[in-house]
Amino acid sequence: MAGGATAGGGKRGSLPQTAAVLNLLTDMAFNLLIFFVVCASTKPDKGRAQQVPSSTNDAATEQAAKNLEVAITRTTIAVNGTEVPLTDLQSKLKGLLAAKAKPEDRIVVVRSTKDTPYSQWIRVTGQIEKAGGLITLQLEEEKEVGVK
Amino acid sequence: MKFKRRKLECPPPYVAMADIAFNLVLFFVIMAKTQDDKHIQWQPAKAKETQQAKNARVRVSVDQNSKVYLNGKEIGIRNLAEQVAIFLGDNHENRTVLLKIHKDTLASTFEPIMEAVSQAGGDVVHVLEEER
Repeated sequence: MAGGATAGGGKRGSLPQTAAVLNLLTDMAFNLLIFFVVCASTKPDKGRAQQVPSSTNDAATEQAAKNLEVAITRTTIAVNGTEVPLTDLQSKLKGLLAAKAKPEDRIVVVRSTKDTPYSQWIRVTGQIEKAGGLITLQLEEEKEVGVK
Repeated sequence: MKFKRRKLECPPPYVAMADIAFNLVLFFVIMAKTQDDKHIQWQPAKAKETQQAKNARVRVSVDQNSKVYLNGKEIGIRNLAEQVAIFLGDNHENRTVLLKIHKDTLASTFEPIMEAVSQAGGDVVHVLEEER
């Protein structure tokens, strides 16, 4: 912050006006500079909202059997067991979901192997959402097995 | 000999007060924006058509070494659902949970996290980098 107003020549007892105003302006400019630096340095996070209704266990229900299943591995993607390249996934799913109007019918069960990287998963689920599918994760149930 | 007593006028320093107020505003803005998970080393996955994420109370991060953090503090996946539910509390308006997951994290780590957030009633938002 700028200090008191002492610079400039003026009569004794009267404040040198121009110096005082300059000090205030310097203060303000400095504050504004800090303000814009702060605003520029904190960029907001960008991302994608995703509705994940619930996870289903391995014990498949009757409804789950009717739903589409997308299996993801580190390098491949399969829709209902048929391998599909990522570029064709959206169009393939759109075709399969076209006749399904109810939200519960548009559920796409996503099953990924343990070594599937997050970047691959994000790419695939993005395509599913663009095709109008609702994502549900299928997780493998963890079982503790005692070894004697 | 009589001296005239001069009245000293001492008005409040309004200009200085405005400066202080402005500085305080700046201070609180910086404090509010500064996140406590800056130390976590991670790289976001890339995706097209990202949107600006809402402000969220809860941030779950996974770093390069697959360590899981809740609002900057390391946590085990088993406790995650419970802790996320505590952080979210009874707030029904904003239940956003930001997921900052390193791009190479494996499904064995990130899927249980998503399940935990879902169990806690959070709305998942993946923090990603815009692909150009």
